[in-house]
Amino acid sequence: MEQLYQLLHGWFANAPDAVLRTVAIVVPILLIITVFPGVFAYITLIERKALGRIQNRIGPNRVGPWGILQPIADGLKLLTKEDIVPRRADKFVHFLAPVIAVVPAIVLFAVLPVGPGLVPVDLPIGILFAFAVSTASVLALFMGGWASRNKFSLLGAMRAVAQVVSYEVPMVLAAVAVVMAAGTLSTVGIMHKQAGGFLNIAHWYIFQPWGFVGFVLFVIGAMAESARTPFDIPEAESEIIAGYHTEYSGFKFALFQMGEYLASMAMAGITVTMFLGGYNGPGVGWKYIGPLIGVGYFFAKLLSIIFVIIWIRGTWPRIRVDQLMAFAWKVLLPMSILNIVAVAIAHYMESKFWAWIVTAVLLFVAAVILSKIGSPQNVERRTYRYAA
Amino acid sequence: MNAAFWILAVITLMGALLAISLRNLVHCVLSLILFFLGVAGNYFLLRADFLGAVQILIYIGAVAVLILFAIMLTRNVTGTEGPRDMFGLGWWAGLITAALVAVAVWITLRSAPEAGVTSAGQAVGSVEAIGRELLTQWVVPLEVLGVLLTAALIGAVVIALEEVRRRR
Repeated sequence: MEQLYQLLHGWFANAPDAVLRTVAIVVPILLIITVFPGVFAYITLIERKALGRIQNRIGPNRVGPWGILQPIADGLKLLTKEDIVPRRADKFVHFLAPVIAVVPAIVLFAVLPVGPGLVPVDLPIGILFAFAVSTASVLALFMGGWASRNKFSLLGAMRAVAQVVSYEVPMVLAAVAVVMAAGTLSTVGIMHKQAGGFLNIAHWYIFQPWGFVGFVLFVIGAMAESARTPFDIPEAESEIIAGYHTEYSGFKFALFQMGEYLASMAMAGITVTMFLGGYNGPGVGWKYIGPLIGVGYFFAKLLSIIFVIIWIRGTWPRIRVDQLMAFAWKVLLPMSILNIVAVAIAHYMESKFWAWIVTAVLLFVAAVILSKIGSPQNVERRTYRYAA
Repeated sequence: MNAAFWILAVITLMGALLAISLRNLVHCVLSLILFFLGVAGNYFLLRADFLGAVQILIYIGAVAVLILFAIMLTRNVTGTEGPRDMFGLGWWAGLITAALVAVAVWITLRSAPEAGVTSAGQAVGSVEAIGRELLTQWVVPLEVLGVLLTAALIGAVVIALEEVRRRR
């Protein structure tokens, strides 16, 4: 934003200052609210295609060649659907919930450095801001579930709140490790710390033992926070219909979906920034085309994380409620705290090589022990009565 | 700057007023969240970014969600029955609380340095400054608070365990 203002100031030196400032504020906002929902629309297509392939189907292929116009058809269909509000619902809160589902998800993109110099706002507390904003999304789930006056919705909302609150703790602690290593809370600063080295790749935090553990913890937390399978018990359709958005139809339903997808995209973007070096990669420093390559890297990394999330959704069953909670508190939380200790060890050890080895061994042993402790005990072998 | 302050002030006060005057408990909490947001906005306006983000993270993300969770588990949140006691006998308590708050504000304003918010704002409210202060000058209160909260946490777990054991 600031850089855009400087640039505009250079080009139109005699234009009034207020106009330039307004343009410099409005342009990034317009970019965010056009580009990311566009990407969202096509991620739904990718997801349907990929899930189709995983389930041995073809997926949408009727609208346009290879089904590429499917998102537009979906949007139009949802727009023309009747908007049903239950008679005893709390009308105002029911209306407000889908809006609140989308707003924090979009605000999250404000601190993401997409390419060299392409960050809407470089806040000195960027990461903290992102977590603060992302916690607001749980309100939408609660409001939607509560306002619907439906038992299933309320159950979904309760599950959603419990899940999001539990998984936020290890997720934030995983980010604390990165903040400690980088020594800054700014997203741009964290990303710059991972620049350089072999092919501009070697310094990514994911190649450190604690970085890898943090990456795994963070992606699990992000998936749980945006209620994606296998953490989709808030909207488990076989148990509680559709959870908090059972009573939503038409475009309000679409807004809930959009909020969920935008939140997972933003979380994937923050993961890329914190662990995968942001837009860093070979060739970013080149003249003229370097920034373009950087933007390409960013979106390639973001989409690959999204793809892994889709992949997991397609192949894993849903986790049970008690398993879900036990996993968050008994495995992820101790692991994330140990991860912070590992960062401190790595920071204070003289030799980087030995620090790598020591933290890797420590974290590996901890992971093995914790997964033994955290897994359910006394589980009898399942016997099938009718199947072979 | 000034316009932003007035907008935020109206939002904050509106949230606070709605939170104490609405009948439906869930609506009250939602207005309370509006109030928290307004306060966070004021922190941002005063260039205390860290405080603003923490305000959202803790008050909206944790405190309000916890209140909502508690309300969700209770019956009869609409509260249409029962007397509206806001201007009844309770006004003595309100008056005393208001007086105490006024004294607290007055003491704070007196001991605060001369309006140095805009000039040194960034340095005073930055994460580094707060962290350094917390771990040097205020380290003993910080540790004591940590011990207190840990004790409270363990106490909560013990109480919960008792209930589980009784149920079996």
